[in-house]
Amino acid sequence: MSSTAATAVRYVGQSVKRLEDPRLVTGHGRYVDDIMLAGMLHVAFGRSDLARAAITRLDTSAAEALEGVHAVYTAANLNHHNDSLRSSLHPPETPAPPANMLADGDVRFVGDPYVMVVAESRYIAEDALDLVDVEFEPLDPVVDYEVAADSDTLVHPELGSNLAHDLKVPNPAQREVFAEAAHVITETWHQHRQTNVPMETRGMVASWQPHAGVMEVWASTQSPHELQHIGARVLGTGEHKVVVHFGDVGGGFGQKIFLGREDMAVLVAAKLLAVPLKWIEDRRENLLASNHARTEQMTVSMALDADGHFLAADVDQLEDDGAFPLGGPASPGAMATMLYPGPYRMGPVSWRARTVYTNTCGRGAYRGPWQMESVAREQMIDRVAREMGIDPLELRRRNVLRPDDLPYLVSTGLTYESTISPDKTLEQAAEMIGYDEFRAEQSKERERGRYLGLGIALYIEPTSMGMGALGTESAMLRVEVDGHVNLFMGTGSHGQSLETTMAQLVADELGVRPEDVTLHQGHGSGYGFGTGGSRSAVIAGGAARAAASGVRDKVVAIAAHLMEASADDLEVADGVVSVKGTPTASMTLAQVAATAYKDSDALPPGTEAGLEHTARYKAPPAVHSNACHICTCELDPGTGQVTLLRYVVSEDCGVLINPMVVDGQIAGGVAQGIGGVLYEHCVYDESGNPLASTFLDYLLPTAAEMPDLECGHVVVPSDTPGGHKGTGEGGAIGAPPAVFNAVADALAPFGVYPNRQPLDPDTVLGLIASAGN
Amino acid sequence: MKPAPFQYHAPETVADAVGLLAEHGDGAKPLAGGQSLVPMLAMRLTRFDHIVDLNRVSEMFGVTADNGGVRIGAMTRQAAVEHDGTIAERVPLLHLATPHIGHFQIRNRGTIGGSVAHADPASEYPAVMLALDGTAEIASTSGTREVPASEYFESTFMTALAPDELLVGLRFAAWEQPAGFAFDEIARRSGDFALAGAAVGIGIDEAGRIDRAAVGMLGVGPTPLRAASVEAALMGLAAADAGADAAEIGRLAADDMDPIGDIHASEEYRRRAGSTLVGRVLGDALAQLTTEASDG
Amino acid sequence: MADAIPVSVTVNNRTRRGLVEPRLTLADFLREQALCTGVHLACEHGVCGSCTVLMDGEAVRSCLLFAVQADGSRITTVEGLAPDEQTLHPVQEAFRDCHGLQCGFCTPGFIISVAAFLEANPNPTDDEIRHGIAGNLCRCTGYQGIVAATRQAAAALREEQP
Repeated sequence: MSSTAATAVRYVGQSVKRLEDPRLVTGHGRYVDDIMLAGMLHVAFGRSDLARAAITRLDTSAAEALEGVHAVYTAANLNHHNDSLRSSLHPPETPAPPANMLADGDVRFVGDPYVMVVAESRYIAEDALDLVDVEFEPLDPVVDYEVAADSDTLVHPELGSNLAHDLKVPNPAQREVFAEAAHVITETWHQHRQTNVPMETRGMVASWQPHAGVMEVWASTQSPHELQHIGARVLGTGEHKVVVHFGDVGGGFGQKIFLGREDMAVLVAAKLLAVPLKWIEDRRENLLASNHARTEQMTVSMALDADGHFLAADVDQLEDDGAFPLGGPASPGAMATMLYPGPYRMGPVSWRARTVYTNTCGRGAYRGPWQMESVAREQMIDRVAREMGIDPLELRRRNVLRPDDLPYLVSTGLTYESTISPDKTLEQAAEMIGYDEFRAEQSKERERGRYLGLGIALYIEPTSMGMGALGTESAMLRVEVDGHVNLFMGTGSHGQSLETTMAQLVADELGVRPEDVTLHQGHGSGYGFGTGGSRSAVIAGGAARAAASGVRDKVVAIAAHLMEASADDLEVADGVVSVKGTPTASMTLAQVAATAYKDSDALPPGTEAGLEHTARYKAPPAVHSNACHICTCELDPGTGQVTLLRYVVSEDCGVLINPMVVDGQIAGGVAQGIGGVLYEHCVYDESGNPLASTFLDYLLPTAAEMPDLECGHVVVPSDTPGGHKGTGEGGAIGAPPAVFNAVADALAPFGVYPNRQPLDPDTVLGLIASAGN
Repeated sequence: MKPAPFQYHAPETVADAVGLLAEHGDGAKPLAGGQSLVPMLAMRLTRFDHIVDLNRVSEMFGVTADNGGVRIGAMTRQAAVEHDGTIAERVPLLHLATPHIGHFQIRNRGTIGGSVAHADPASEYPAVMLALDGTAEIASTSGTREVPASEYFESTFMTALAPDELLVGLRFAAWEQPAGFAFDEIARRSGDFALAGAAVGIGIDEAGRIDRAAVGMLGVGPTPLRAASVEAALMGLAAADAGADAAEIGRLAADDMDPIGDIHASEEYRRRAGSTLVGRVLGDALAQLTTEASDG
Repeated sequence: MADAIPVSVTVNNRTRRGLVEPRLTLADFLREQALCTGVHLACEHGVCGSCTVLMDGEAVRSCLLFAVQADGSRITTVEGLAPDEQTLHPVQEAFRDCHGLQCGFCTPGFIISVAAFLEANPNPTDDEIRHGIAGNLCRCTGYQGIVAATRQAAAALREEQP
């Protein structure tokens, strides 16, 4: 590859207005539900109302007889494709629950689909569901994940155990340190069940073309190639026969990386019926049966010396996989425990991670799937600070990694690059919030009966991970005959603004304006994993940049030949190639393109006609970004209500492509974190019945609950091309412990310390009441 | 999430509407603003063969001055209640309570009669109606009857309305004496149903002593409730003295509650935080009286 | 099954006539018969506000109305706000300027709600904005850009109509 330096950086670093927006603000986005095909039929799934039960009777004849119903499918019709449901991140050799599209003989969580209706409208499909004659014999479910591993009742009898994973990595050095340490402090931290809740639910339109053997698919997905790849396997055909149309996607946050059982059922049914099918998940289905996350706990012991220096840690994680984890039973617990040391000199760490099955909705990826490491660590640090009488900011200052420590080999095996800056983000955030002033105000207000609190969370996050299917992404860039740039990529932007940020990268690299670049996602480029894991800026960006660089080399070579100039003397800007210092000597990119396509004899000898280049970028093992969140709150001791007052984030995502977009990603993640700690909860009762199946019960925060967000940026470029780092998940990693710590701080005068979420008014008032006893 | 089929009726008069209810009995359901009924239909938690849409019954809309008080047509939108000058002047508690109902888009469609007929114990208007001794005007093919609030709310979502009856209006008397009114509620989020709420009216005599106390509560029982213990404790007190003890007096309300717990708040929470809130709202209402007294 | 009922609804200044089953929601009518697919359904039970439209000038949840109820009314959806293809409505412009959207799914409902909110309260405080738009849910932005956009749109609209 040529080492041609990019033209001057003009668009990277600018808050370029989004190219996506004109269509989206006028209602002309194209989401999957907007696809309406001639003859299209509609799908609805019948789902279990019981957490665990045998199906003793299933008669669909009355449903089939209803006018407007075209088909009613059960396990017997669809499940013969079951062997092919594994995701790309789920190796075939790992044990897994039976991957049934539809429940076969028994149901294993409330929401488990056991029947599928295809009808002329969704209304009629739901009418037909009411006519399905089904009888269940209820069985005792396993609901509490804390006891699931020891239960004689098995969620999946086929597996012989409810224990899905148990990874133990003891470290003898940790034991030695604990034996000698001045302080060893232990606490168990609990997160609670939450879910992604993209505003657009899951959905798919599938249209089979008989004889051609082609399946056209429109889907709400983060990963169009994963859909193509797995879809082809499910259909028993080649990937070239599965055409995925990628339109607008209304959020996902991890939920739309992998195909769900329903997606696969729709594909198979569309082929069986040879009629276009549409399935749009409704909100109740989404809350009950898409995926849940964050049902987990981590027991942490930390050893410190008398001055509050961290010496060693022992970490034990337990997570609930639910019944059918989305994308396979891969456990984020291993990552959560490995990452526990975070941005500190933690010393030797022993770790254990367990995952168990229960009769509840399956776990799936949710923005920062292993953020339990930061939740447990940052909450633990505040707890330790309280116990040792050290200010929590000061305790972090004593232990945070500083430039002298870098690069840093963590005892769990990770390596941090020299390009991280946790100490700087800690100080910037402390300055932004006015730390000392707040502490003074806090003690003054406490005398007046006001309870204020402040919480800090400092974390480091591996982004853009270069492993397995996640490690690479490709881009095919073509300058068309009129000079416009088409960029084809395997990404799946579901709100990340890639049409704009990729265009900014290409604009600078190629010498055009962002609006001259159109990103086409989903097909036309080779396999890519799509959008997730905070990977697009570095990995997709790396591919876009490399593709643009390749084309720029060719543009310059052709222009030099046509203009009889030296390639070294040429520059490209705003779609014009000109001789440096002689702007009159120039030609437009459109002229170069016209020559490349329509007058190829005029090209330099040996130059291939056309103007395009494909490049694939391979990421390093990980690119670490870091951030510090600090928020303040006021607690009403009469009602237990918490009001967030201020929220500051200092982050280092390296070179910002579009600061407006970065701040937007942070704000969205922070809102999810705040929602998680204070409002959102997928509650199950003891019999495994979910109690938060509507938006009246699953409480997303509104604008009125959100504080104003203040963002600061520390820019230490990464070693990747462009110097970017991932940032999509960070907000949702830092916010939960920051909010939790703020509430814990406000509760300090009562002498109580929470160790579990959510911190809803009832819980908080209960803690205050318990202090009185 | 789509409703089951139904027959649709859009009468234009109360007479036609009650005729339809009489004809179809239990199988018919009046549709007012639809902000509670339509979600239940969409989720198929309830279904009716006949929906009687009241939105074209023009005689059911509007606010009229009535014998010193107001009569509010049952189909009057909550947004209209919120912005009505006569209501603000004569029944300030309704005016104060209305912004707590959902969000403005909900209030643009939701009606006062719909709220009172639905009788969600956590909703605002039933508690105000109970606190102020409002009256329900109920029509059927056999005529019209009036039911006082104290007899109207029977149990959760259950009222004195028979299946063939239609709530057509509500009457509220204005308070003649100097009075202070306040409303507030505790909700998980802006616009949510109340975990606990209080609607308070306090009237004083010429000597500045409390001679009328109306304390309605929402979210703390199977129906809206009156805090009788609080009301009794207030009678005869000087407003300023009551104001100084408002928190303590409010705590008495715990004995008047009969809450049930749900995923948003336990029974214990509703009792504890609710009685704190009663004290605060009481304080707000009393503060108006003491401010007015010192002003005048 | 219930008989279909003829309706005539003026949608974005064009008359749409259709035969509707009584249970057809206004949202589904607007999406499937009037082809206003900017009306988004994200909960179908009246909480999220994504389906908000103006009905005779008032912001309402179109998932909580039946199409038959809209017979004879004037509906404005997000598609009907911009004056022409080259120009955005000031609220739309502000959402773009202030990054008031990411995935864009809640955006049409938000834009309609904000336009209606600013009509009633042209000069809101930040606190009034936050409570005023609390009837619409967004999962991407944390509302940061939406609050800023509402502020900007308020100023722009005040300038437009002094």
